[in-house]
Amino acid sequence: MLKPDSSYKLFIDGKWTEGKEGKTFNAINPSNGEVLAKCVDACKEDVDQAVAAARKAFETWKKVSPQERSAMLLKIADLIDANAERLATIETLDNGKPIRETLAIDVPLSSDHFRYFAAAVRTEEGEAVMIDKDTLSLILREPIGVVGQIIPWNFPLLMGAWKIAPALAAGDTVVIKPSSATSLSLLELAKLMSQVLPPGVVNVVTGRGSVSGNFLLEHPGLNKLGFTGSTEVGYTIADAAAKKLIPATLELGGKSANIFFPDAPWDKAIEGVEIGILFNQGQVCCAGSRVFVHEDIYDKFLADCVSAFNKVKVGLPWEKDTQMGAIVNGEQLQKILAYIEIGRKEGAKVACGGKRLTEHGLDKGFFMQPTILAGVGNKMRVAQEEIFGPVATFIKFKTEAEVIAMANDSEYGLGGAVWTKDINRALRVAGAVETGRMWVNNYNNLPAHAPFGGYKKSGIGRETHKMILEHLTQKKNIFISLTETKVGLY
Amino acid sequence: MITRDTQVEDLLALPGIIPWFIEHGVSPFSCYGAFPGTLGRLLEIKGVTDEEGIIRELNGFFNP
Repeated sequence: MLKPDSSYKLFIDGKWTEGKEGKTFNAINPSNGEVLAKCVDACKEDVDQAVAAARKAFETWKKVSPQERSAMLLKIADLIDANAERLATIETLDNGKPIRETLAIDVPLSSDHFRYFAAAVRTEEGEAVMIDKDTLSLILREPIGVVGQIIPWNFPLLMGAWKIAPALAAGDTVVIKPSSATSLSLLELAKLMSQVLPPGVVNVVTGRGSVSGNFLLEHPGLNKLGFTGSTEVGYTIADAAAKKLIPATLELGGKSANIFFPDAPWDKAIEGVEIGILFNQGQVCCAGSRVFVHEDIYDKFLADCVSAFNKVKVGLPWEKDTQMGAIVNGEQLQKILAYIEIGRKEGAKVACGGKRLTEHGLDKGFFMQPTILAGVGNKMRVAQEEIFGPVATFIKFKTEAEVIAMANDSEYGLGGAVWTKDINRALRVAGAVETGRMWVNNYNNLPAHAPFGGYKKSGIGRETHKMILEHLTQKKNIFISLTETKVGLY
Repeated sequence: MITRDTQVEDLLALPGIIPWFIEHGVSPFSCYGAFPGTLGRLLEIKGVTDEEGIIRELNGFFNP
């Protein structure tokens, strides 16, 4: 099996550096507790150096033509594809997600992201208008500057692509910090990008969020912040941006409604529950964690989902037939199991799963059973709070109006889906649920070209679409008088 | 002694702390990792009104 390097350094100004203080942390394989690699715990001076490198590189990068930037993004995409197996394997080892997902989804979506923005930047144009017969107004879009980006542990490579590709397309330079739980794939991506990009255009600092992450957030040299993570941490990112009067885009938490009507395409709908909550072990911000099922089909649908969940193969994620891998670490597993216990106390029934798995070689890792909590009320904590694991809460509904009201009774609004063959109902429900993404008869499809982002406490801004370029650029108006005649005021 | 200025990340080393926090409606760990700030800030964001009470309870539980 492919393995990561035994140690990684920080990637600053086109060079790999050990960091000024020499502090390190271990990347751990959540499937067996083994140390995968040593990474650098960046100190303040390292972050300062990274931001300085990005600032210096920006002065040149902002002048690189869209054509040249596009060509570089396409080369990065090609390198990702050429190294797909290595990237996928390392992501699987570091995060715990199945190799079938990293090969089929994380890596291809990442390379496609670079391709999408390579194309998008070639179509970006300014505007020109004659305000009156003597006055021309030009609107130019300019890069915003140095962007500080922080990404989570659930999709390290893909979130890296979501953040870096559009920033480079926009003409910005980047300092990006992955989660200390999963640093390796982004560092591997940095190796590939170093073959293409000028020094300092992308800089990768690793380390603990409470230390290296905070040094990045507090740095006065940034022009924008980009963040994907929990809503609680989103508040601190927003604070950091407000203190510096810079913009921030935030993709935060969710408790999304996966809604099933009686005419849902049955087998696909069952799989839709699984994709909604078991993909990536349920560690997905837009996971379909609230499963709303019409009362006419509730009992049979629940029974069939239980049967399907019980057949899911939980196993070592590098094995090709594994459908659900390890939870990212012990802390997250404890959190998920604590919520299952809360669900029990609230009166929900554990219809299947609910336990940690330690048999069949899984005892050294953080594995658990796919879980359904049935008979859940929408006001229960397990229906309102983000669990972030393979735990579906099944909630019965009677009418369209009722399920829309329950779907909207949440502080979040990130994802969701409606399953029905009735197009009018599909559009009514999708239009009424207060959320940034409503899937119809599918779930967790997250390609480029369709915008993704949250309402309410799920975030600010949209990604995976060229509209993110609005957040990564600023507009200059050049207002030109074409006449030499005096105005006549003085 | 745990105070509102204690870093949440430092608290995660205490055995049983995560279920304790979840039971009390506060999640100290997320897809970012440990909450990157103080206990006081986390409680403020979570809208905990009796901050002193919860900190007292936390000290009682982990430093009896």
